[in-house]
Amino acid sequence: MILSQIGYYSLVFVLAISILILFYCFKQLKFLNKNYYLNLINLNFLQSLLVVISFSSLIFSFLNSQFINRTVYENSHTTKPFFYKFSGTWGNHEGSLLLWILVLIIFSLLFLFTSQKKEKKYLTLTLLFQQIIILGFLIFTLVTSNPFDIIFPIPNEGLGLNPILQDPALAVHPPILYIGYVGCSIIFSSSLAALMSQSVNGNWASHIKKWAIVSWIFLTVGIMLGSIWAYYELGWGGFWFWDPVENVSLMPWLTLTALIHSLAVIEKKSQLKGWVIILSISTFVLSVAGTFLVRSGILNSIHTFANDPQRGIFILIFLFLLIFLSLVIFFKFYKQDLNLNKLTFTNDLSILINNWFMMYFLSVVLIGTIYPIFLEVINNTKISVGPPFFNKLISIFLIPFLLFMGFGASLGWLKSNFKKIYLQNVVLFFVSIITSSYLFLFIGDKGLFLSLIMGGSIYLFLATIRDLIKKNKQNLSQRISHFGFSLLVLSILFNSIFSEEHNFNLNVGDKFKLEKETIFFQNISMTNDKNFKKVEGIFLIQSNNYKDIILKPQLRIYNQPVIITSEADILSTLYSDNFIVMNKIDDSNMFNIRYQKKPLMIWIWISTIIIVLGGTLTFFKDRK
Amino acid sequence: MKKILILIIIIYPTISFSVDNNKINKITKNLRCLICQGQSIYDSQSEFANSLKKVVEDKINENMTEKQIYKFLTDKYGEWILYEPEFNKNTYFLWLFPLAIFIFGGILIFKKKT
Repeated sequence: MILSQIGYYSLVFVLAISILILFYCFKQLKFLNKNYYLNLINLNFLQSLLVVISFSSLIFSFLNSQFINRTVYENSHTTKPFFYKFSGTWGNHEGSLLLWILVLIIFSLLFLFTSQKKEKKYLTLTLLFQQIIILGFLIFTLVTSNPFDIIFPIPNEGLGLNPILQDPALAVHPPILYIGYVGCSIIFSSSLAALMSQSVNGNWASHIKKWAIVSWIFLTVGIMLGSIWAYYELGWGGFWFWDPVENVSLMPWLTLTALIHSLAVIEKKSQLKGWVIILSISTFVLSVAGTFLVRSGILNSIHTFANDPQRGIFILIFLFLLIFLSLVIFFKFYKQDLNLNKLTFTNDLSILINNWFMMYFLSVVLIGTIYPIFLEVINNTKISVGPPFFNKLISIFLIPFLLFMGFGASLGWLKSNFKKIYLQNVVLFFVSIITSSYLFLFIGDKGLFLSLIMGGSIYLFLATIRDLIKKNKQNLSQRISHFGFSLLVLSILFNSIFSEEHNFNLNVGDKFKLEKETIFFQNISMTNDKNFKKVEGIFLIQSNNYKDIILKPQLRIYNQPVIITSEADILSTLYSDNFIVMNKIDDSNMFNIRYQKKPLMIWIWISTIIIVLGGTLTFFKDRK
Repeated sequence: MKKILILIIIIYPTISFSVDNNKINKITKNLRCLICQGQSIYDSQSEFANSLKKVVEDKINENMTEKQIYKFLTDKYGEWILYEPEFNKNTYFLWLFPLAIFIFGGILIFKKKT
């Protein structure tokens, strides 16, 4: 009771402070020329403190299983392990919104702390936009999704958390993704503020680039964690399903990646200003739109664990207000660059080409995700847009993209030694085409298109290695990230082309023979865990090529809510993953077994980590 | 340079377009499990999915082509069941919008360059 009240009232105070800060911001803007300057850091600090108190009281309600709180009652259970009681705080709609607000406010404070030396008008405006966003989400939370609702009489037991969410990767996935999204809010506010105070310049670009990279790092890691989770928890053996909710997190990632590249052009050449502002706005709008699509439940997805159409309408209105506000500001304050230089074959052209492809990929993901919704509303026709659509439209364009990426990064900022670069790249290109052709000849008939795309990615791989081992230390972080990306594309390709998949039914004690391996279903055992029963199968996999492997996939029967999940067992090595998952077949003693060999699987994660490492390096470089 | 080109020309005819030998898998991966949340028929173990796998298998044994099977299923369950939307008047925009964006972007860059 007391915890819920503390939580609720501190949140109300947070709202009050938000309004107060907005008021001071307006006042400050009005008297800007008269040396009137209030330091609003204290208020922001107080706001952060209160939101931390509010969030902590929700955490404690979850830890102590205080079922008087509706959110706790609906999403927790006394037998749940401690760690998942904790992570359950944000494993639901209300709690995750509160977390969003917490991150939003703390980020605003951090921004204020680190940018105190900036121009006052710019700072005040950024703060103003930031508080508008905070206010929007606060009202949304308090009106439609109060995490501190109370129920009487107090229930004895909670309803429990969806078991597929009870997982370590998924416990940290939302907070990390949120930090990424919320970081985009700073970019949004700051770019509008810079536009209004006429300070979109190289200085601003280097200043905001840090925030862009921080958000980008968290977004990348967040997406990766979700993908790892899907790989071992959903039991399908894939890592990316083009599920609407995955798409929604990919969209701001694409614009953010484009933004980071374009910011470099402003930094070096003071061009592309309008475009950078548009990218900053759309990155955050896409983040909020993502929240809308996930929370409103209009998407048919594995992720819609909490939804309510009314909430959707609220976020939709908020979204339109944001878009409207930013468009008005953009058209009112944006002035076309006067000294437009012609583009030459230098780095900025390659960055434009990067942006061009990023926008294409974005348009594919965007239209594929929202088109079915619109079609249903307009025409009452229900269609599905699934992996074949995305794969088709993206893979073809991947070939020129890979080539441009390999070629473009070797161009200089001012002028390029064109002949030398050209020759180098042509040689690399032919080496890659031949390698990929022979690879396919050696392995078997796999098609012209695949060998082209493989050729492209081998070319990029070689080109990024060439750039990586260059002597000068300029742009080291970019070179590492590009190398990581080429490794990622290569491992995804290898993985998808050379994966083996076997689907069969077995009785306990039976063997199943594959071409090179035998799978022996040795035994089955049943044990009780804290909040689920565990049925564990023991499989022996024998082959002439390697040592015997024992894999133990599980079926879990959770008590509250009663849900059966199947847990894959995976043996990861540097070369390949052995993945096995079993399912009970109804009205039969047999089990359905899915056994997969996935080459280079672990490299998909390793290369993503390399990409992120490249990004992190920018911060250490600056300190020197 | 010429030698390389000749080499490539020699290599390429031996690489033809791929044929998925496991037709059932290919088809069921393109079908949505209507009662599940975002799973394909291939991935799902639900009763509905298992019965549809059987249907697809039967239809292949009846020598129906992939297209005929899709036609049969969409007549029965609607377009919702196909993961790859057909190219028809409902989906022109879906398929062509990204391409339009690509062309538009290309024109913008080209104009700026010259």
